Amino acid sequence: MGLVPGVLVVAVVIATRGLGWWQGLEWKALDTFLRSRPAEPLDDRIVIVGIGEADIQQVGTYPIPDRYLADLITTLETYQPRVIGLDIYRDLPVQPGHDEFRTVAQGLEHLVTIEKLLPPPVTGPNFLPPERIGFVDVVPDGDGFWRRSLLGAATDDGVYHFAFTLRLAERYLAQAGLSLENGIRNPVAMRFGPVELAPLTPNAGGYVGADMGGHQVLVNYRSGPSPFRRLTMAQVQTGQVEPEWLRDRIVLIGVTAPSIKDFANSAAIVSDNPGLVFGIEFQAHAISQIISAALDNRPLLRVWPQPIEYGWIILWGAAGLGLGRILRHPLWQLLVVGGGSLVLLGTGFGLLLWQGWWIPVVPTLAVFTVNGVVFPLFYWYDRGLRSRIQERQRVIDNTFSAIHNGPLQTLSQLLRESRDPAQMSPALHRRLHDLNRDLRQVYTLVQQEALIDKQQIYLGPQGIDLSLPLHQLLYQVYTQTLGKDLPGFQTLKVKLIEFEPMSDRTLSLDDRRDLCRFLQEALLNVGKHAPNTTRLWITCKQIAPEPAGVQNLIRVADNNQDNRSEHLVYDSNATGGQGTQQAEQLSKRLRGQFRRYPNSPTGTVCELVWPTGRRSLWPFKPTALIKRSKHPGK
Amino acid sequence: MGSDNLKPLRFVIVDDHEIVLDSMVRVVQHHYPEAEILAVLTANQALDLVEADTPDAIIVDLSIPESTPVDATSQARVEVGVQLLTTLMERFPTLNIMVQSAHVQALVRLKPSILAHQGGFTIANKSQSMEDMLTKFDWALKGLNYLPSEMRSGLELKPEWLDVLVLAFQQGLQDKAIAAEMNIAHRTVRNYWSKIQDALGVYPEEGKNIRIQTEIRAREEGLID
Repeated sequence: MGLVPGVLVVAVVIATRGLGWWQGLEWKALDTFLRSRPAEPLDDRIVIVGIGEADIQQVGTYPIPDRYLADLITTLETYQPRVIGLDIYRDLPVQPGHDEFRTVAQGLEHLVTIEKLLPPPVTGPNFLPPERIGFVDVVPDGDGFWRRSLLGAATDDGVYHFAFTLRLAERYLAQAGLSLENGIRNPVAMRFGPVELAPLTPNAGGYVGADMGGHQVLVNYRSGPSPFRRLTMAQVQTGQVEPEWLRDRIVLIGVTAPSIKDFANSAAIVSDNPGLVFGIEFQAHAISQIISAALDNRPLLRVWPQPIEYGWIILWGAAGLGLGRILRHPLWQLLVVGGGSLVLLGTGFGLLLWQGWWIPVVPTLAVFTVNGVVFPLFYWYDRGLRSRIQERQRVIDNTFSAIHNGPLQTLSQLLRESRDPAQMSPALHRRLHDLNRDLRQVYTLVQQEALIDKQQIYLGPQGIDLSLPLHQLLYQVYTQTLGKDLPGFQTLKVKLIEFEPMSDRTLSLDDRRDLCRFLQEALLNVGKHAPNTTRLWITCKQIAPEPAGVQNLIRVADNNQDNRSEHLVYDSNATGGQGTQQAEQLSKRLRGQFRRYPNSPTGTVCELVWPTGRRSLWPFKPTALIKRSKHPGK
Repeated sequence: MGSDNLKPLRFVIVDDHEIVLDSMVRVVQHHYPEAEILAVLTANQALDLVEADTPDAIIVDLSIPESTPVDATSQARVEVGVQLLTTLMERFPTLNIMVQSAHVQALVRLKPSILAHQGGFTIANKSQSMEDMLTKFDWALKGLNYLPSEMRSGLELKPEWLDVLVLAFQQGLQDKAIAAEMNIAHRTVRNYWSKIQDALGVYPEEGKNIRIQTEIRAREEGLID
């Protein structure tokens, strides 16, 4: 298998990742990893006071009137929280008790309320200064889930607004001596002490062309079923709270009634309601990740620069390609690539868990497994298929050779003898001629596989064991062929034979079979086309001509005295073509030489010489499939 | 080979049937009263004997078991005999061999080796008479060759044999001169003559000169002018 398909896979994955086709899968992978983390301890710096379904029923009306909020805030204040965040819109008075609420809110310097910037906008309470109002806008991802937190944004009028979460974190951290500053490493980042909150870019991590307007960061949701302490309004009002739950904490007040549908979509949080958390909880996670990073060194989510991401994908693509080439057994390949995939997943998860890195996992996994397993498997399947096709072609060829060297020879001999009208009617002769042609056409029509015993070659009724030493094998071919009743054999007075051991260790069964056929064909040519032969030389032995080294030789020479017969030109006639083609293919395969030349003083020599060295340069027989499929024997 | 005559003749006979073996030993012993005859039942035993001390001749039945005498677990197979002959001819190129068999066809593939073998090599068909067998054995012992007609397809000669015929009958050379001319051993020339005679179907007969018989046949076949 070449490198091209593997390189192409990497290129295609990188290109499609650039088009955003992998975005959804990478989001899902991030959600899955985040959800799979072990539970973190409760962040007791943040307490959620939820106005639940029961609270609303007790109040008897919704929106909750200002008086109830004023009462709740007043009660909470008795526990001396550090900051209070009211995640309930109060752009308009909700009577009764608005004045009361206004007095309480204005009097509490550490109370922050909310506004909404994105259309339709909702303003904050007009009686509070802007620094005590933060927006709660979120930009959901294309799949509807919330993974990013918007910390700051400028409105059309050029005024820069801060998020509700950032306002609370800022106030909370200010008391710990950490004020909001500009970033040092990244000047556009927000910084609390050593922690920098760098704004996301449109192509950060798995994102492609995302709307990263304002100052957005990824939310590293706090894992576990209960990341924050949750109280209800009723619990607070009836005093069912421990004072230290609230003292010096960030207290978030929000609606946690499913009927009000203040929900955030997050697949990264394990919740009762898959994919859904209350809006106030999302705010709690966003605040928590900032103060935890600043105070506990808890990692924020980070992404690699794009070149590193793509380098990582290329690296794994190359690793898959390498494994695909090194490992030669499909099972090993599956095991090793399976193991490698686990390493990749483990790395992705581990880096996220300990360092907060969100690295490309899905596209990387894709290039690794496709290059490491899928392509090699296809390759093996394809190779298996090819070899079966080749085998079948060989069977067809063998079948035709058998027909060609047997019945067709008889037929052509018959045709030759029947040219004399005294012996056979011209009509019968023509029909014999047609039969000859039809039989030759059968080759192209052969569609069925024939079963040939691999170990044997059948030239006559008796099979010859192909695994015999080559000279013994060829001797039997000679014996069986000479037993045929052919004109050239009848006049024979003497056969001068040399059958000596030959170097045959490197020959395959197919080579042996074809060498047998070669000798048979050479002898048959004498029998059919050299009717005045009296002497026949058959030589099968090793020769060592300098400087060619040791070579094997098969030579058939006759002394046929009728040189005007078609003997010397049978290359071009009907029966010679296939035989010559076979001989030439065989000699090419063996890197040898096939020659036919006149004998002295009369007759013809037909010989095949091939070197005995290993044929390491010819592991395959690449020409067999292509060349042999041509129409033979025309 | 005068020294050979001082030593008694030594034969090895291998056959899978004990009864056949016994009668063979008796007949051969009767003919060669001085000879030491070693009779064995398996191919491996025969090979061990030949290796220990090369005998003057060996009689091999083709259908024999390999290492243990024929019983329920061991079978006599022609293949084993063929293999034994192959090994013997390979390692003892001058050993005189007589093959006894009803499966002559199995020996066809060994013919290249037989034609190259320098010792006597004769084949006796098991179905023929004991007298015939003794004749073939005698020939083998004399270094002659005999192959039955099933083993040959017409007149087959090695090119060297033809050279011997030409040198002897066209140029009138004696064996020694032929050996010098062809650059081979005298012994080899004798072996070639035996092969040529077998090819031409000329065998020892009372009152006939075998060389002249050979020449007549060679001329008949057009091997020499």
